[in-house]
Amino acid sequence: MIEDDIYRTSSQFRLWSYTEASLKELRAKTNAIASERARTAIRRAPSAQPSATSSAAGTPQPGSDGETKKTEEKAKEIDCLTPEEELVFVRYYCEKTLELGETYKPPLPTMVRATAIQYLRRFYLTNSPMTHHPKSIMACALFLATKTDNYYMSLRQFAEGIPGNTTAEEVISPEFLIMQGLRFTFDVRHPFRGLEGGIMELSAIAQGQAPPAPHLPNQSPQQLLQQIQSIAPPPVACSSIADRIARAHGTTRETLKSAAQMTDAYFLYTPSQIWLSAFLLADRPLAEFYLDTKLGGPLTQTTSTDQSDLQNPLYELRVKLLNVLTECSALLNSYTPLSSDPDQMKGLKRIAKKLFYCQNPEGKGTKRDSAQSQAVAAAAATDSGQVTSESESERLAKKRKLELEQKLKTNGSDIFGPELATGRPKE
Amino acid sequence: MAASPFTSRSPSMTVASPNTLRLRASAAQNGVVGATQASSTPTLNAGQELTEQLNADVRQRYVKDKKLGEGTYAVVYLGHLREDPSSFVAIKKIKVNAEYKDGLTMDAIREVKYLQELSHPNVIALHDVFSSKDQNLNLVLEFLPRGDLEMLIKDGDIQYGAADIKAWMGMLIRGVWFCHENFVLHRDIKPNNLLIASDGEVKLADFGLARSFADPYLNMTHQVITRWYRPPELLYGARQYSGAVDVWSMGMVFAELLLRVPFVAGNTDLDQISKISDAFGTPAEENWPGVTQLPNYIPTDPAHAVPLQGRDFFLRQFPTAGPVGADLLMSMCALDPRKRTTAYQALCHNWWTMDPQPTRNEDLPRKMGTKKMGDDLSRRGGDDDGPFKNAARQLDFGAMK
Repeated sequence: MIEDDIYRTSSQFRLWSYTEASLKELRAKTNAIASERARTAIRRAPSAQPSATSSAAGTPQPGSDGETKKTEEKAKEIDCLTPEEELVFVRYYCEKTLELGETYKPPLPTMVRATAIQYLRRFYLTNSPMTHHPKSIMACALFLATKTDNYYMSLRQFAEGIPGNTTAEEVISPEFLIMQGLRFTFDVRHPFRGLEGGIMELSAIAQGQAPPAPHLPNQSPQQLLQQIQSIAPPPVACSSIADRIARAHGTTRETLKSAAQMTDAYFLYTPSQIWLSAFLLADRPLAEFYLDTKLGGPLTQTTSTDQSDLQNPLYELRVKLLNVLTECSALLNSYTPLSSDPDQMKGLKRIAKKLFYCQNPEGKGTKRDSAQSQAVAAAAATDSGQVTSESESERLAKKRKLELEQKLKTNGSDIFGPELATGRPKE
Repeated sequence: MAASPFTSRSPSMTVASPNTLRLRASAAQNGVVGATQASSTPTLNAGQELTEQLNADVRQRYVKDKKLGEGTYAVVYLGHLREDPSSFVAIKKIKVNAEYKDGLTMDAIREVKYLQELSHPNVIALHDVFSSKDQNLNLVLEFLPRGDLEMLIKDGDIQYGAADIKAWMGMLIRGVWFCHENFVLHRDIKPNNLLIASDGEVKLADFGLARSFADPYLNMTHQVITRWYRPPELLYGARQYSGAVDVWSMGMVFAELLLRVPFVAGNTDLDQISKISDAFGTPAEENWPGVTQLPNYIPTDPAHAVPLQGRDFFLRQFPTAGPVGADLLMSMCALDPRKRTTAYQALCHNWWTMDPQPTRNEDLPRKMGTKKMGDDLSRRGGDDDGPFKNAARQLDFGAMK
């Protein structure tokens, strides 16, 4: 088995690799289903929605007290998030995940945070923020990542590390929902290890200690050392080749920690394609030299010694690889953090406001769920005589009302909640 | 990379899309799951989120039959594919553990995480995972009706020889080699985690302690591997270790298969160290540079130190293996993990190509159950007698911890 075959057995390849078109299609489908469900649920909620809007946001919204027909008309007008808006919204919480990981002492390892972000991104391929708000999903995804990536800490300890007063219960409650969204695959193949390996290889070359590649036996350590010393100058002047490698290493790592996490890179490319693309962005001549050591230097389309125009297989491979890496580099390069871009933040606030009106009131499995069902149970207990005779719609209405009250209560103290509504990015 | 003793096959795979459900090759191979790839595209069902539809699609493909056994953390059922009643699977339903407040337990997470990634004839196949109502996790596992190696070792009525041991050890080492090739440490290899399929194939099971190799310099826990199979570096508290820990365990299984009793069976961790020292030699700087620096190293009184055992000892102690087999065993039991053979090197050993040839799977000794539970169910074409007494217990990995 070669490495590629092994990668193809991974769940990352089997379940979480897409083409751009299939990814788009899947997101559109998830969005269509969730929008339909949100509309239906809001239609079923004659009293709860308007009361929530008037009391919570203070935004004028014509109240329609209990009149079903009116409500139905309104429901039709409910403006649901588009797949693109959902994506921006989820990305914001991916950035928040990085920040949350930073608040722990010591900060959670990069790998744990990266895994959590990929969990979020995978989860929201088949779930919508309209049904499950990312703020309740993200903390749990991060905690799940500490478990799957061997960074042990207790739930209590984890919950205490979250700014504000999020309880352990609230953190853990969507765990099963998340695992289901992840289709019970927990392994994420990151590009970090590949980068470390490549850097070690380059360092060995720079020290004149690199063994020749098995398929390129006429390479010699001296030759490789000479070549690495004569490549085109780096984007930023460096004192030595070792310094150059270290700088490229650092820049690449930063790209892998940010752009690679926040874009669709993991869905579209393999870990090695991702790190090589990030490396190309950091120091193109150095990255191209590295590829030369693997693919035998700049190549011609046909093997030069052969008159019969035989296709050189490495040439074809290299052209193909460069195309993929160029595409991936462009994707990585397109990323700007939301919080550092006022225009994007403005868009985000608009989406958050929009979401407030189209959030599915029956969203299950979020942290409000357990509190909510308890509240319903408590309410039921107080007038137990009526519970059985209560019609389904009345019961649901009561449930939603309680839920919204609960929501408002929680929002007041939840760092992931009010911040968006008031549009104040967390430092 | 492929050398003669490997029989790894690339698993059948579907296009990578969550809309396509997959089946592992090993399933089809055993005739356990006879279905073709079911690429069921979920229909737009407004009643369910897409993620729930995908889960329901998986769940509906299986039917739970009778309960095979129950442990503290899991219930194991015999099940089959809805569209093929003659297919068998074991469905392990993991109970929500009320005492463990931190969500799904680590051993369940580890088992699911690694089995999802590993597809090899000598590693138990995880066909699917789905959730059922009340948030129960259901693992659809390959059904392995013929017990485990521990049952065979302990059953005085069963006679087996070097050729059989060669077959079993070959399958074990191939499975472990594959795990290591995928950067996964099993960390609990012992005879009762080595289950036997209806066709006689040995399968590595129970990945509740497995983990991927740590990055260099990162610590791991030394509290792993059942004591009798635990290597000296872990007994000395090493926090950085390699696949060599699994190789030691395999060496202990090898020795136990030859002797039919555990070879070094300490009553405590300390006792285990002293039994290892008595058997193989006392670990010291001369035979294991750096050993005295390990956190829990205990110096031995020089008067009682046992010199490192050589070839003669292994030949004398394990005559059944023959000189070449004893040599392989010795290389797996090197005290210094850096000198211990790797799974790959073990597979390249010339014991495999020497006489006797390993027994063919269909001719391997099998446990004759006194009580033939569900005899009719385990019997299939070409499989005349497959009692699965204790099947529930072996599949009930969770009950062990």
